Amino acid sequence: MIRRLGTGLAVLWAAATASYLALLLAPGDTVDILVGDGPDTPEIRARITAEWGLDRPEAVQYLSYLWRLLHGDLGRSYQLQRGVGEILATQVGPTVQLTFAAAALGVALAGIIAVATAGRGRWARGVASAAELVAVSVPPFLIGIVLLAVFSFTLGWFPVSGADGPAALVLPALALGLPIAGVLGQVLRGGLERAIEQPFAVTARARGLTERALVARHAVRHALIPAVTLAGWFTGTLLGGAVITEVLFGRPGLGRVAMEAVTGRDLPVVMAVVLLSAVVYVTISTLLDLAYHVIDPRIGG
Amino acid sequence: MKRLTLLPLALLLAACGTPQSVQEAPRTSLTWAIETQPITLNPQQWSQNKVRLLVFNQFDALLSRGADGSFQPWLATSWEVSGDGLTYTLHLRDDVTFHDGTRFDAAAVKANLDQFSKPGYNPAVSSIQLRAFDRAEVVSPTTVKITLTEPDALFLDFLASPYAGQVSPKSLREAKDLKFGGPDLVGTGPFVLDRYVQGQEIRYRRNPAYDWPPAGAAHQGPAHLSEITYRFLPEAAVRVGALTSGQVQVIEGVPATEVALIKKDPDLALRTSLNSGTAFSYYFNTSHAPFDDQRVREAFREAVDVDAVLGAVYQGTATRAWSIVGSRSPFYDASLERAYGGDAAKANALLDAAGWTRRDAEGYRVKDGRRLTVRTVAAAPFVRDRRDILAQAIQAQVKQSAGIDFQVRIVDQGTAQQAVEDDAYEIFENSRGDSDVGAALNLILPRDAAINRTRHADPRVDRWLAAASATSDEDERKGLYTKVQRAAVLEKAIVFPLYVPADQVAAHKSVQGLGFDPASGTPAGAYDVRIGT
Repeated sequence: MIRRLGTGLAVLWAAATASYLALLLAPGDTVDILVGDGPDTPEIRARITAEWGLDRPEAVQYLSYLWRLLHGDLGRSYQLQRGVGEILATQVGPTVQLTFAAAALGVALAGIIAVATAGRGRWARGVASAAELVAVSVPPFLIGIVLLAVFSFTLGWFPVSGADGPAALVLPALALGLPIAGVLGQVLRGGLERAIEQPFAVTARARGLTERALVARHAVRHALIPAVTLAGWFTGTLLGGAVITEVLFGRPGLGRVAMEAVTGRDLPVVMAVVLLSAVVYVTISTLLDLAYHVIDPRIGG
Repeated sequence: MKRLTLLPLALLLAACGTPQSVQEAPRTSLTWAIETQPITLNPQQWSQNKVRLLVFNQFDALLSRGADGSFQPWLATSWEVSGDGLTYTLHLRDDVTFHDGTRFDAAAVKANLDQFSKPGYNPAVSSIQLRAFDRAEVVSPTTVKITLTEPDALFLDFLASPYAGQVSPKSLREAKDLKFGGPDLVGTGPFVLDRYVQGQEIRYRRNPAYDWPPAGAAHQGPAHLSEITYRFLPEAAVRVGALTSGQVQVIEGVPATEVALIKKDPDLALRTSLNSGTAFSYYFNTSHAPFDDQRVREAFREAVDVDAVLGAVYQGTATRAWSIVGSRSPFYDASLERAYGGDAAKANALLDAAGWTRRDAEGYRVKDGRRLTVRTVAAAPFVRDRRDILAQAIQAQVKQSAGIDFQVRIVDQGTAQQAVEDDAYEIFENSRGDSDVGAALNLILPRDAAINRTRHADPRVDRWLAAASATSDEDERKGLYTKVQRAAVLEKAIVFPLYVPADQVAAHKSVQGLGFDPASGTPAGAYDVRIGT
């Protein structure tokens, strides 16, 4: 457990350093960014440099950044003129809601469709496969626009924007969750179909189990291993997809903050979002490792 | 697509609520979808023209602008400028209170002006707009005297700008996030900031004590709306959908592709206004080949049929520009109209004369083994109004009609800045929304100007601009700016004006009192807005 914690911290440090370096090496310097397309005179530049301590050597700036980080100080946003911690604190909630709702929706849809269609007739499988393929290959932006046009603009069932209440969460969660349901559904069904051809399935059938019960009780566990491995992938998809979904639906959230920070090269905010994503990744992969043991006791410790 | 038209009405009725007479006007609220989020709510840090419509809900400036561009009273009832142009004496209203209950007086005006000299507060404003500011003195509670170090024709414009939005001195001292603003940074405006949710919305509620609107306002007393919410919806199609389905009653930023749809809808009304400031223009970098040769600069302009390009890209909704100065400005020189451009034969003759006579395998002109290539490097965060599509249309035209290789690159802000530093661009694209176009010209044209991207120097232009900045005689300024425009556009051809930026507001027919800020041509605040019958 302590080794795990150590590895986790090392990953965080590597993430912080790598993103710091990447932003440092990108063209243009921080003063350029702070000046933007506004008036640009040596006098203005000198004042900005002094205000943000940009005249210190890069190594010193980096070390002072790490030092502040250790004390839980994420710094101030260049663009938004506020503490980064405060910005993230107000934006984490809506993103957590959105990603959890999308993940739950994606997993539930995938599970239902896979269990209902695995080993069934060609027709049911074909329809499910086609739906999954569409969900996977259509960009989330387009899915979002179509959902909005039908369920918000025309039918008026759901509001277009905001993060007030469950009704406003439905469409964004669908837009973000459908691609996940598509991929996960395919993998899960593939796993189920392999499992019901295994020798243990013959034994189970011989005991008089119906095909449904066989799939639901025995095969699911076998099919879960590849699906759980994919969960790591879909954490990334969710965080990336949140950017597009939040902008489209006018929702507050980290994705939108991250996008604006990257285009504006708002270094302190970008770094904080990278760190936060690294924390989420490390946590989820740890949880997944634990989940493997539960699903399949044969996987050794 | 068939749309439900009853729904918006039902929603509007619901929004109006029951007209119980509590203590004042009936409760009415409105939701307005806007494209851009403010990066700050402090008027003295304001930098985005797209969110100018929010500033004067919460704050009032010292002066205002009339529809004819003249200066009119607001928190200052009258003002005198000394003969030498160095002393401004403002007489203030004595009945104004800030939202935190403190009084607005001469000491408050002085505190607001002095705030800019605090290090790091707003380096851009203190070195541009307040360059000539020396000191402010309190003469009496209702009189303040401002002294400048040199005459500045743009100082009244500053007093009518968001930067002169008056903030309670108490909150200047006590606000938690001074440079960001928020509910604890208060002004005297017709609305009080209620709630700001980053990424979602900003909500204001009526200031019931308000009784000091600018001279041009349509009514007196408190605002009509008891509450207004601005939703941030960056996607144009989503804004339009939210409007047609009645989820919001007003939107701003209507793209050309959606204009026809809104005009067709009998429940909706569309209003547009040209912006103040400079036209959206291509500035030619004259520091190196090929645009160091005036014939090539002129040829580029002749090679483009601007009307055809604008028609294709903006479907007839764009206003063609002929001068660096936008046609909404009182200083616009209309004699430049149809004085140049759109003559492909002339373009080819000019290029032949400049020595670009040979053609390579792809049809581009070549001279001394080098292709006639010009590049524009634009920063993605500042590309709007389909300017990327416009550039592609121009790219196709100059290739076809004159064999010019126009390369368009949309990059991140750092890369764009790098290209400017390395002099690795031939065209710089820009428009500015300054309420007095003189401010923009001062930044763009003089030899050492902050955003002189043409790298062109014309001592006459520098002299004329300096003279225009030092006089407040509008006729004299017009004469000088006319000379400047003729020199830049006709004589030296350092700029290629394309279109005059505009703002659009679309709303349900029941929403009355929507207008545009006379100073900037951007949508006005919500003070006069009401839901009528």
